[in-house]
Amino acid sequence: MAGVVLETLSNRKLLILSVSLVLILAVFFLIGGLVAPAPNSVIPSTTVKCVDADNIWQKGEMKPFLPRGKGKCDSIDHFSDPRVAREGIDANEIVFSQWMPLPKDGKQLDMSRWFQNMVSVIELDLTYNSQNKYPEDRDAHMVLETRVFYRNKEDDVKDWKLLAASTEHRTLQCSIENDNRQDGKRYQCDLLPFFELGTVFYDFYLINIRLPIDKRTDINIIGQLDDLAVVVIFQNGGFTKVWFSIKTVLFPAVVAVLLWFWQRVLTEGRATNLTERTLFSLGIILSIMNCPIEWLTLVVSMPFMTLLNDIRDGAFYAMLFSFWLIFVGEHMMDQVERNQLKAYWKQLTVVILASAACFIFDMCERGVQLTNPFFSIWSSEVGAIAALGFIIVAGISACLYFVFLCYLVFRVFRNISSKRTSLMQMSSVRRKYYSGLIYRFKFLMLVTLLCAALTVISFIIGQVSEGQWKWGDEDLSLEYTSAFLTGTYGMWNVYVISLLCLYAPSHKKYAADTVDETDTNSREEEVQLTQMASESSNIASFISKQAAD
Amino acid sequence: MSDDCTGPVSLWDYDKMEGRRRGRRTDCMSRGALCWGWTLVILLLSMETRAVYALDMWWQLGVQGFETWKNPQMFMLGAHPICTQLKGLSGGQVRFCQLYHDHMPSIGRGAKMGIGECQWQFRLRRWNCSTVADSSVFGPVIKIASREAAFTHAISAAGVVHAVSRSCREGDLNSCGCSRARRPRDLHRDWIWGGCGDNIEYGYQFGRAFVDVRERERNHPRNSRPLARMLMNLHNNEAGRKAVYNYAKVECKCHGVSGSCALKTCWQQLPSFREVGDRLRDRYDGATEIKFNSRGLKLVRKNKRYNKPSKEDLIYLDRSPNYCLANGETGSLGTVGRMCNRHSAGMDGCNLMCCGRGYNTFKRKLVERCHCKFHWCCFVKCKTCERIVDVHTCK
Repeated sequence: MAGVVLETLSNRKLLILSVSLVLILAVFFLIGGLVAPAPNSVIPSTTVKCVDADNIWQKGEMKPFLPRGKGKCDSIDHFSDPRVAREGIDANEIVFSQWMPLPKDGKQLDMSRWFQNMVSVIELDLTYNSQNKYPEDRDAHMVLETRVFYRNKEDDVKDWKLLAASTEHRTLQCSIENDNRQDGKRYQCDLLPFFELGTVFYDFYLINIRLPIDKRTDINIIGQLDDLAVVVIFQNGGFTKVWFSIKTVLFPAVVAVLLWFWQRVLTEGRATNLTERTLFSLGIILSIMNCPIEWLTLVVSMPFMTLLNDIRDGAFYAMLFSFWLIFVGEHMMDQVERNQLKAYWKQLTVVILASAACFIFDMCERGVQLTNPFFSIWSSEVGAIAALGFIIVAGISACLYFVFLCYLVFRVFRNISSKRTSLMQMSSVRRKYYSGLIYRFKFLMLVTLLCAALTVISFIIGQVSEGQWKWGDEDLSLEYTSAFLTGTYGMWNVYVISLLCLYAPSHKKYAADTVDETDTNSREEEVQLTQMASESSNIASFISKQAAD
Repeated sequence: MSDDCTGPVSLWDYDKMEGRRRGRRTDCMSRGALCWGWTLVILLLSMETRAVYALDMWWQLGVQGFETWKNPQMFMLGAHPICTQLKGLSGGQVRFCQLYHDHMPSIGRGAKMGIGECQWQFRLRRWNCSTVADSSVFGPVIKIASREAAFTHAISAAGVVHAVSRSCREGDLNSCGCSRARRPRDLHRDWIWGGCGDNIEYGYQFGRAFVDVRERERNHPRNSRPLARMLMNLHNNEAGRKAVYNYAKVECKCHGVSGSCALKTCWQQLPSFREVGDRLRDRYDGATEIKFNSRGLKLVRKNKRYNKPSKEDLIYLDRSPNYCLANGETGSLGTVGRMCNRHSAGMDGCNLMCCGRGYNTFKRKLVERCHCKFHWCCFVKCKTCERIVDVHTCK
């Protein structure tokens, strides 16, 4: 077999290539850290308490309740307002309302399509009241009647259209420390998932929530509620711009390298081997992930974009994991004939199982959210169990995968060390072949470990610093989370690009003058080696020959 | 007049806060707009020298029915006359009112919260934070530079931060800051680039500008009593604001790929005002007595054995008067007629509350609401129950 580019590359060229790849990598980190803002912004807002005195909502009319501006609803400041007792305002008549985004700097802001997605959670301010306690002995069952309206800037101020309406069930979990059991102290409550939108297509969003009560049922018995806050998280426009730019640059670059690689493989004029085919698939999947179809979200409403991105990410990682398996297997240097996918079915099943579990989970959560943005798989008991099941299956499969992979790597290293000892007795072609194999393998191991370690380390730093990281003085502040995201994205791209470059078949043949002419088998061997990529039958015959000797 | 964003002391101050609180990014360049805006306002205001009566306090806003404030039409017709008609505002604060008239209901609400919380925290003490019907709100008591005055300043300053931050979160105010996020210089729409600023920070900055302006309106000679009082008030106001600002809780949400924690976004949650009150009452109990230093420019602790007061501690100049007996001069209302608890060994116990004068006991028929049917809010259906209780009042 002719070697790959990596083996025939001179040390100087390899050094230049490595340095330039590292530089590109650094650029990705710096773009994220210095140019892009934080990946997400958050608007924590307290809802306005509108009074629906005429019970319009309960009659089923889809009337929006506005928290401010023209057509503002009839609102109360707080529930201890004397009006509540005077007019006998009932909990059923309260509508919590907020208009996103909030006004700032003297003007009403508007959402932008650059925001890409929007996640919202509800925060409840439950206050300890010795007469009206939160039922701590059981989880409180909440029912939220929710409506989200939208409007564009140019629309008439009253022209709110319904985006989604639903009646959602949530389980609330709150606790309070014993020393805080005094009137006026606050419970510690878990956040309630509210809605997730895969696109921020409109300018204004109006959120209306009602917490109905019913004497006959135990819904919404949660003690004393003082405030209901709606927290909205969205991707920053600046980050989206940087992200799109990175994708737009990387997509053609990877496609170009991929085409070059495949053309190289085809010009060899022999059947492709499994490693090459896997590498090619990896490149294709990466290109699909890179493909900047997100630009369309600026023109068309594409609520499925978040789901699609999750699937593309998942597919890439599944492919990467499969590639590692196959690559390690193909460098096993034992007597087993592989070079076919079915030789790896056991290991690949694990990868497929893990990604299928993740895929189903994602479809159940984000897929359903396409029709009902308020849906949360965790809010129903069965859903939560199923979701947990999928995650456990994925987790176990991932663990199994790593056990498999580590075992394979261990076996390769064992084979390497045994080959080392016999290397000297081999013919020069065979020696070249094996040392090339070992070199290729070790190089990939090194680079892969480096990339994985970088990902894990930066992820851990990101978790520890919780997205807030400051370097040096005011002028040079680094957005750590953005740097992590663009950096890892760029890194795996650079990784695949360098694999495609370095593991493409080389044009250069082994120099004939280094072949030991006295070895009578060498010619024949070389012919055989070039014929077959995995040539394990040769190895088998070689071994048996050696044994016979 | 010093701008707090540019002064070296306060920069240090910010950095300290920065270290403690996540989700906060100092960017004086961008926040500068906010700070400088207010500095200009303060500078302008300080030009105008208007006699400030020591007892004429802005806390009045919390006592005046601020429901009328909710009417936006009132401001549109003409904010200026209304601001001058308001009782209790200093010259600088009147100007603030004119510039930020939509903030005034929040300030009123904050003052009201402060007064209410003060009365709750001190309901079982000899001085019970009672209000009187004049423009000083708390009566002549606060003329004395005592712990009580320190507490009232702190809690009302805290109330403003709390109320303004909350109004920002409700979308009630138009001008809550938005220029915090970093962005390339030539980008105009910074909101789209990097989102918007922090409401609690805005409440803190606005509260500082509004509440402190009255103290800074006049210059006082060194080593003078008014200077000492001014420094004390400024310190206690700041302590009150910090009791809100430094104790905001951080909440986070994971929202990465498939809901994993690869992406995490955090925000701040205002502490409940009861917590703020509790914290300040603890500071009241541990308040530090202070005096001028030798140069007569700074306040230092009187007793070196005690710890140096931090930015969050309350300080006072004078010992509190005796609140046992009514005294028109000190403003003490006395504890005669106050209810006390016969079985308590604490401050609300009859022995301490009545200052050893003894107490009267009589039976009272108590008409209460009982067997109530509560919901998470609002109107409650109750029955009325009657019971007879022993009531003890101080002689």
